[in-house]
Amino acid sequence: MAAGRQRLSAVHCAAHWAAFAFLLAMPGLALAHIGQGDVSGGFLAGLEHPVLGLDHVVAMVSVGIWGAQLRQPAIWVLPVTFPIVMSFGGILGGLGVPIPGIEIGIALSAIVLGSMIALEARPPLWVAGVIVGIFAIFHGYAHGAELPESANAISYAMGFVIATGSLHALGILVGVINKWPAGAKVLRVGGVAVALCGVYFLVAHFMNA
Amino acid sequence: MSSRRFFSKSLLFLLSMTLAGAAHAHSTVKGVGDFYGGLLHVVTGLEHVLPFVALSLLAGQRGLKAQAEAVLLVFPVALMVGAALALWLPPVPGLMFFNIASAILLGALVAIARPLPGALFYGLVVLFGLSHGFANGEAISGSIKAYLFILGVGLAGVAIIAYGTLMVDYLLRRQIGWITIAVRVAGSWIAAIGVLVLATAGRSMLAA
Repeated sequence: MAAGRQRLSAVHCAAHWAAFAFLLAMPGLALAHIGQGDVSGGFLAGLEHPVLGLDHVVAMVSVGIWGAQLRQPAIWVLPVTFPIVMSFGGILGGLGVPIPGIEIGIALSAIVLGSMIALEARPPLWVAGVIVGIFAIFHGYAHGAELPESANAISYAMGFVIATGSLHALGILVGVINKWPAGAKVLRVGGVAVALCGVYFLVAHFMNA
Repeated sequence: MSSRRFFSKSLLFLLSMTLAGAAHAHSTVKGVGDFYGGLLHVVTGLEHVLPFVALSLLAGQRGLKAQAEAVLLVFPVALMVGAALALWLPPVPGLMFFNIASAILLGALVAIARPLPGALFYGLVVLFGLSHGFANGEAISGSIKAYLFILGVGLAGVAIIAYGTLMVDYLLRRQIGWITIAVRVAGSWIAAIGVLVLATAGRSMLAA
């Protein structure tokens, strides 16, 4: 009985998150019709940027999944702190502060986050926070360095943050299956896949270099 | 019961907001367009809307009845005073960046979710009301009727703040864990957007 109720609430929670992600996307869509400056172009450019790079998608979703594995309070610490830390990385990238090995850092982020998920690692919260924070700076830097000149800066940043946050939400949603033993196994296999993606990114980087 | 009335009230309010646009087309009062000019100048500027939304989230977190009711009055009045000041004072350089910074500070405070002392909270409300009002007032030029434009700016402030505050207050009183987190995440997103905008400010259209 109790288990059934818990399962119900998990589905409920998932539905809520989906509704939430949808609602968050709505005001942006509405704003896109105002037509002041290049609002819509900037918003769309910002929205698609994090989604179109597989290395970013994999890492962002992994942050959400790992948060779901770590449960309270990491499940909220990670999505609340990540955007702010990432935006500081964006400043460094936007200003052109040289940080070597950004691409390597991004590939490593997939390897490390994937391994954490695969091992179901539960380090202390601050350790998890520092790991995710370092990678947030790498990802933010890469995005900041690629910020387009032409786009409306505010609507671009809006689309960008909404897309990144929605990828976290997606990871947390996927992480809901952690409540069932079979689901927990699926997540760990997924972690292996993420880590392998990271290895691929790393190899691809050195092949191209 | 009363919360349900609250909700339907805010729905009605939203509805009336959409009707106002339609009414515009039939306006028989000459010069009333400047009122909508002021309203739209706020609503179509993301650098105003984002911090206003952050402020409404912050006010909603304080709880409407308990500590934040006065914000619905204080903020729009500060906005209108700021807009009126812009008629007499010279333009303030870098005000745009200050206003973006208000989004970062207010968003971060929402993310932290620790209630501020009342004096500090209302100090920020007045300060940012004045700064955003001033930025909008700087747009008043030529044949624009200043008092209508300023009233429009004030109404835009009431609308965004009231809607956000009522909604967050209503949602948080349900005491559902994920909603509490979602509000904080929204604050974190607004702060991150503000930081990213400042990051690009030096070389983007903001410099113009």
